Amino acid sequence: MSRKKQEAQAATVQVKKLTLREKIWRHRVLILMCLPAIIFFLAFSYAPLPGIYVAFVQYNYRNGIFGSKFIGLGNFDFLIKSGELFTLTRNTILYNLAFILLGNALAIFVAILLNEMRSKWFKKVSQTIMFLPYFISQVLVGILVFNLLNFDTGFVNGILEKMGAPLWQPYSNPGAWPVLLVIIYLWQQTGYNSVVYFAAIMGIDSETIEAARVDGANGFQKIRYIILPSLKPTIIILLLFALGGIVKGNFGLFYNVVGTNPLLYSTTDIIETYVYRATVNLFNFSTASAVGLYQSVVGFVIVMVVNGIVKKIDPDYSLF
Amino acid sequence: MKKKLLAVLLTAAMVMGITACGGNGDGGSSAGSSGGGSAQVDTSELVTITYLTTNDRPSGEAEQRYLEMMEQLNAILEEKVNAHLDIYFLSWTDYLSNYNLLLASMDGTVDLVGTATDWLDAWPNAKNGAFLELSEEMLQTYAPKTWESVPAEHWDLCKYNGNIYLMPEDNYAQWTNHGFIYRLDWAKDAGLADGVKSWDDMTTYFKYVTDHKDELGINYAWDSDATQYGQMGGGWITSHSDYVSIDGINSGAMWGGKKGDLYTIYSPYMTDTDSLVEYAKMMKEWDEMGVWSTDVLNRGQNTNRDDFRVGLVAAEQHHTQTWTDLVSHTEANKIFDTDPDAEVGFFYFGEESKNVVALNITHGAMAVSAGSKNPERALMVYDLIRNDPDCYRLFNYGIQGVSWDLNDEGMRITPEGYNSDTDNINGITNYWWGRNDDLEIRDAQKNWDAIDKLYAEYDSLKIDYPYGQFVPDVENIKGNIENINTIYEKYMKQISYGKYSGTAEDIVAQFQAELKAAGIDDVTAELQKQINEVYGK
Repeated sequence: MSRKKQEAQAATVQVKKLTLREKIWRHRVLILMCLPAIIFFLAFSYAPLPGIYVAFVQYNYRNGIFGSKFIGLGNFDFLIKSGELFTLTRNTILYNLAFILLGNALAIFVAILLNEMRSKWFKKVSQTIMFLPYFISQVLVGILVFNLLNFDTGFVNGILEKMGAPLWQPYSNPGAWPVLLVIIYLWQQTGYNSVVYFAAIMGIDSETIEAARVDGANGFQKIRYIILPSLKPTIIILLLFALGGIVKGNFGLFYNVVGTNPLLYSTTDIIETYVYRATVNLFNFSTASAVGLYQSVVGFVIVMVVNGIVKKIDPDYSLF
Repeated sequence: MKKKLLAVLLTAAMVMGITACGGNGDGGSSAGSSGGGSAQVDTSELVTITYLTTNDRPSGEAEQRYLEMMEQLNAILEEKVNAHLDIYFLSWTDYLSNYNLLLASMDGTVDLVGTATDWLDAWPNAKNGAFLELSEEMLQTYAPKTWESVPAEHWDLCKYNGNIYLMPEDNYAQWTNHGFIYRLDWAKDAGLADGVKSWDDMTTYFKYVTDHKDELGINYAWDSDATQYGQMGGGWITSHSDYVSIDGINSGAMWGGKKGDLYTIYSPYMTDTDSLVEYAKMMKEWDEMGVWSTDVLNRGQNTNRDDFRVGLVAAEQHHTQTWTDLVSHTEANKIFDTDPDAEVGFFYFGEESKNVVALNITHGAMAVSAGSKNPERALMVYDLIRNDPDCYRLFNYGIQGVSWDLNDEGMRITPEGYNSDTDNINGITNYWWGRNDDLEIRDAQKNWDAIDKLYAEYDSLKIDYPYGQFVPDVENIKGNIENINTIYEKYMKQISYGKYSGTAEDIVAQFQAELKAAGIDDVTAELQKQINEVYGK
């Protein structure tokens, strides 16, 4: 709704052919309200941009970024030479896809369930309990998981042993981890993610829902024909935002939970963890920046492509 | 009006962003040129010199002791050079990354930097410009005693591109060659009358202790964490060949020469295939015996050494210096109290092949940060804590009568009411960058009979570290080394803990194939070229 209004406004502005100056004057209050955000992005996103150059030099602390020797694509060498670039990028993207898709689906599901709850007390309590894991540091999560799953003294094996069942050894079984990591991620993030959707549901015009009820829609029909369609813009925007970071792995989760256990690398190694292991002893800003740049460029391309596709299907929902 | 304000704000924001960036580079370069040896000693202003060491900051009562010691030390320093000393404690967690990061910031946070060419990236930091060049005049003027006490050939070993960057700890007898520390009394019970003398003996020992776990009251034979694989693999190779490794190329020390032919560079990980297969088999045997925990690869921090002190584990892998502590009946080593028969032995890597290399003198060294605002005074302070008996003993041992005392034989003892958890200043200041045997007082608690015996054995076998003047330039082979690091870690972890699937032959072949694909031969060739330039082969 508001989007349409804005567009309408923009259209009228265009017709009148205002100069930039007049436009700024006309929207001065809006701009002023945006100012903190504008300054933030200028200072932290645009001003450091020239620093990208560090990815192309042999960095020396004393000479600084622009005084160091230019070596072209030399810093990208190791990524390409490793022969792992494809596997790493694939692992990173697949994990993130799972996180994004399952994470959002579960968050929507939970938000709808919360919305349908009648007991206020129960709603608050369950929301809080789901939210709590979000505040636990990844380091602690790693320790928790180890204490649950380790072979000799783990909680799970303790129970299995009592039941006389064969013991489970996930720390030498790479196949278990894609599932385990997704479960851990969902456990941590769902409470947080569902808040956004819950708020969006709260924002749905109650008259529409009233009308549906008067027309005899049951609970499922209400969800299917009113709530879900109303959530569509929110879902698409959140998905697009998330896709921008799809090549950036969740280092905290992977490093703390999987650690540096080579038996599990085949299914758990992502760009971040590989780069960490390769360069932690050499401490090289330039290589790290080169990797960051690679991830940003791939992320940029993905966002542009997906946004283009969304625009083709329904221009209303595209980001720009 | 508002429009103007907006414009001003926007411009201000942009300009600030830009200058912030430019400022960095400038600040860096000007810091380097300062301190180039003005000869006058001006100590009119009281300055605080910060010394960087690797340790966790003391807390509680230990901090109290530490502050008391520093108060006395600072009184002396203030009187002599009008300076105070402060310690920047770099926590052990991820110490190497944090160390490099701190040095890279170059904001004058630290002045004196404890460093090492083998375990603390001294050369990369010198190369990156984090350390100040120490001219001979500067050293002569501000650290005259240090300058005199270090012979010229030792200064040569501290040079990179003709400039001195490090002040070496070259007058302190210590051995940091690694090996297994074990219970000699249990080894005797296992039928090893002379103790462990080889890896095969070690297997016999572990077999015995894992079989008698409950009787001996131990949790594990060795509660290893996942970081020991490098020392173990390197130790195996040292024990089964004449390999001498070059420090500071990568964490695996994968390149070196042979004792008889030092300057022909090779990597034993490529050539010693049979030996590696044998190693992989033995480690699988150890793993199946249950020497370490099943999920050792995910074992992060552990308390193995403390467990050893109280008899909860049967072995520890570390270097000779650590053994000199564990072999002695100190207050912390409870095993000697609870078990009168307890004895601690040391099986050093290289014992079988008589392959022992003396410690590089830059295993501990002091550098001055290029970001230091008072490099002259920093050198003066260092000269005192390294050479002045009062400062040295305060800084290393603490306050006499509280943290240490002298006995009738002139040896160091702990005074009445001493608590090793809080009063051990030596374990707080971690001054490993200029210890001095002329000022050291022997610790009466230490088992000097055993220690002197082993040191004498080392002295009869040792060769000096032969690559002291070689500072590898890895810029062109950096990419290869980074990838070799990950391959090394991936395979050596599996091999060293016996956690591989398939046969030992397969895993070693796979390891070598990946190393080859990552260009290990190119690295070897490049290092050979550089070695030839230095040692003129």
